[in-house]
Amino acid sequence: MRGAAADIQTDLTAIAGDGSASIEPDACAAYAVDGVTPSCVLSPATPEQAAELLLSVADRGLAVIPCGNGTKLGIGAPPQRYDAALSLRELNRTTYYEPDDLVVSVEPGMTLGVLQQMLAGRGLWLPLDPAGGERATIGGILAANSAGPLRMRYGGPRDMVLGMKIATADGKIVKTGGRVVKNVAGYDLAKLVIGSHGTLGVIVEATFKLYPRIATRATWAIEIDSLDAGREFRRRLLASPLRPMRAVLLNASARTLVQSANREVTGSRRMMIWIEAGGSASVIARYERELSGLAAHMNASLKPAGNSEDAEVWKGLADFGNRLASQRHTAVVLRAALPIAATEEFLKRAEQHGRVEGLEVAGVAQLGVGAVEIGLSSIPSPEQRVPNPTNVEKLRRLAADLGGSLIVTHCPVELKPRIDVWGPRGDDYETMRRLKEAWDPSFILARGRMIGAFESGRAMT
Amino acid sequence: MLYEYDALSSRRVPDAVVFPETTAEVSAIVKLAASAGLPVIARGAGTGLSGGAVVIEGGLVVSLARMKKILEIDIENERARVQPGVVNYDVSLAVADFGYCYVPDPSSQKACTIGGNVAENSGGPHTLCAGVTTNHVLGLEVVLPDGSVIHTGASHWDRPGYDLTGLMVGSEGTLGIVTEITVRLTRLPEAVKTLLAVYDRVSDATATVAAVTARGITPAALEMMDGFMLRAIEAATHAGYPLDAAAVLLLEIEGLKEEVEETSFELEAVATENHARSVRTARSAEERDLLWRGRKNAFGAIGRLAPNYYVQDGVIPRTRLVQMLDYIGEVEQRFGLHIGNIFHAGDGNLHPLILFDGRDPEQRKRVVQAAEAIMTRCVELGGSITGEHGVGIEKNELMPLIFSEDDLEMMRRIKSVFNPQALLNPGKVMPSGKVCGELRIQVN
Ligand SMILES: Cc1cc2nc3c(=O)[nH]c(=O)nc-3n(C[C@H](O)[C@H](O)[C@H](O)COP(=O)(O)OP(=O)(O)OC[C@H]3O[C@@H](n4cnc5c(N)ncnc54)[C@H](O)[C@@H]3O)c2cc1C
Repeated sequence: MRGAAADIQTDLTAIAGDGSASIEPDACAAYAVDGVTPSCVLSPATPEQAAELLLSVADRGLAVIPCGNGTKLGIGAPPQRYDAALSLRELNRTTYYEPDDLVVSVEPGMTLGVLQQMLAGRGLWLPLDPAGGERATIGGILAANSAGPLRMRYGGPRDMVLGMKIATADGKIVKTGGRVVKNVAGYDLAKLVIGSHGTLGVIVEATFKLYPRIATRATWAIEIDSLDAGREFRRRLLASPLRPMRAVLLNASARTLVQSANREVTGSRRMMIWIEAGGSASVIARYERELSGLAAHMNASLKPAGNSEDAEVWKGLADFGNRLASQRHTAVVLRAALPIAATEEFLKRAEQHGRVEGLEVAGVAQLGVGAVEIGLSSIPSPEQRVPNPTNVEKLRRLAADLGGSLIVTHCPVELKPRIDVWGPRGDDYETMRRLKEAWDPSFILARGRMIGAFESGRAMT
Repeated sequence: MLYEYDALSSRRVPDAVVFPETTAEVSAIVKLAASAGLPVIARGAGTGLSGGAVVIEGGLVVSLARMKKILEIDIENERARVQPGVVNYDVSLAVADFGYCYVPDPSSQKACTIGGNVAENSGGPHTLCAGVTTNHVLGLEVVLPDGSVIHTGASHWDRPGYDLTGLMVGSEGTLGIVTEITVRLTRLPEAVKTLLAVYDRVSDATATVAAVTARGITPAALEMMDGFMLRAIEAATHAGYPLDAAAVLLLEIEGLKEEVEETSFELEAVATENHARSVRTARSAEERDLLWRGRKNAFGAIGRLAPNYYVQDGVIPRTRLVQMLDYIGEVEQRFGLHIGNIFHAGDGNLHPLILFDGRDPEQRKRVVQAAEAIMTRCVELGGSITGEHGVGIEKNELMPLIFSEDDLEMMRRIKSVFNPQALLNPGKVMPSGKVCGELRIQVN
């Protein structure tokens, strides 16, 4: 094995240049996906190098997984073949920045945190709060189309990308879109690649439209007694003229998880709504007034979060899935996509299901977005039992009954082969499969993780 | 030699036009055509400006005009399900009483269809801050060229799998026929304010646009019209535009009352700093409507000035607006043509209107040269050849200006997955390799 790996490494080093390929066991282990460790880590320093590497990988019949900082690498079926990690961390430059036109192009390895810091210098930002937060790389955010609660106001990554450069499985670098805010020339290849989890091409540059930084932001908390109260709040909020930046509802377990990292757990079993708005002092005052009114309707009160607490809450939320998975090695984290009005009901049914099955259900609902993150772990000893995979199917059915779908974002390695990550195929599956074949005929990119998975007989339907 | 566009339009007679009322009928028609090897061309309202619905080699035109039902309005989930023949404006009208709208508002919104909008990924004045069609479509039902029916996306965000909805939007009817669309609805703002900033110099108006962008002020809409257009529009619509101005900016701000007040104050200040002669606020809904009616009827107004006009659709970085308008002025001189400027300034999406007399072949030749010069310049400045009107048969031969052979190859592979026999809307979007140099679309 090592010999073959060394051959591959020698071959690939020749293309990548010294130092850009490694077979160090520690380096490789850091890129393990679903328990599969690659034999080699490739770290191209330029987009061209990334493309050349792909070509040589294809020539040798190998398979790679493009990787950033790994905050979302758990999403996907176990790889069917995984020879080399294609680490994009070193591809992290800014290639175009026109602050006066509110446009920036960056390479995929740049982290969101670094980008935000650069943009802040000119009073700009990219309104994204993906899973993994500031540590998430741009490439990973786009590959997973990872949107957080900010999507209610700003849309998700797919809505902010103006153009992209993609390294293809046949070693080309292709461009789609451009650097202007409106452009309909040619097919929108970026849309296809965004959310394809590295299975269609490697994003080597992305161009975003930018937004002016919000002068002042404020976060408030509302403690509520029931999901029905949460639903009532969401209804009234969406029917009001208010346009908050983001709003989430945390059930008691999720609240404990998100807040416990920062301070003493209060032990409260109540749910919490966090809501953030931005603007001038008078706009913030208006929000505070109206949100107080909405809270009063539910016999609850609005509490402003302190400045530091404020940031911590949203950070904690972005890390919800990763934190849960690292704290409780048995946890399964799911993400449901639902019609906006079904979010609280889904959470309610998931909680009911948890009570019946003896599972703790930590849930975060993104209000006005229709996304719910659910962490399942066993009680009373969270460290011991891995939840039965049938729970995933049961929750998936609950989501489907409400018109939604559900994927698995984190789960213990031993459980993965028995779990259907993506759920049932639609009537558009055959088209997706043919697109994968047309762009990556030898399946060198993340083989089996998204599309091939269905062929392996692992799918439930 | 410039082709005879009148002659060409007569050559482009379809073998038949069908008016299906259901998805099943569309599917049956497409199957039939496929077995006969006949091209199929979907058609909405026919307002497209890049010749997307034009018949090139005969075939079947599938008009979606009779599929015009709004199937479902679901306010709590902020979405509506519609058939492709529904007229854009009718969606907003249907949900207005609930306090909602459908954001993308092409100037042709009272005629064009949602199906056509999806095919072209259409924009409009209010897509500046809220995004174009692709940002407001959740899911589609599509009939593929073999007659099979697929459902892409969902009635919510984030269905697992590839974003085929995002790929279909803007594919100009070359990947499938859209038979149902789930659109996102957006809450109407609490307050709206419309401003008209008047300038004695075009460059001051463009400088204002650049400054608004650079300062990160986000109006809901930011449109520009030059003096030539103003006078034409005023004669046709009586919108209340100043006749002696060199240019005006039509600005709209939406949001909470407080936000609207603050932003309009900022915008007024920027306009004044950039030498606006006056900044007028629409005082009533009627005045606001009138200002917008003028803008939205602008193309029609031009008909009074010249027998024909040819609309361009270039896009440039907003930092290059001043430069670009200067260049258009040069082109006007060089080719001896009148060019009116009206555009979605906040997006950097220009619509220079080249006026001419189509009966004069020599003029037509100059029009094509002028148009190409403008598009080439847009590309040189870092822009694109089309911001919202699509490639169609108008600009497909210009695609190599912005895309390499490798870029185009990946697009072709997509096309061959969906439309392997190229029976669906043949000859559109992708370059055929033939030399250009002719006016390829029928102009108004
Ligand atoms: C006065 C005027 C102002 C305009 N202003 C704007 C503007 O502000 N912004 C803007 O973006 N555009 C504008 N346009 C252009 C045009 O209105 C848009 O492109 C519109 O979306 C076309 O819709 P339609 O229903 O007329 O489509 P058509 O012209 O009938 O068709 C356009 C393309 O869509 C395809 N198509 C139509 N229906 C379907 C379907 N159901 N499935 C698959 N393919 C389909 C056709 O094959 C064709 O390729 C304007 C046009 C005019 C005449």
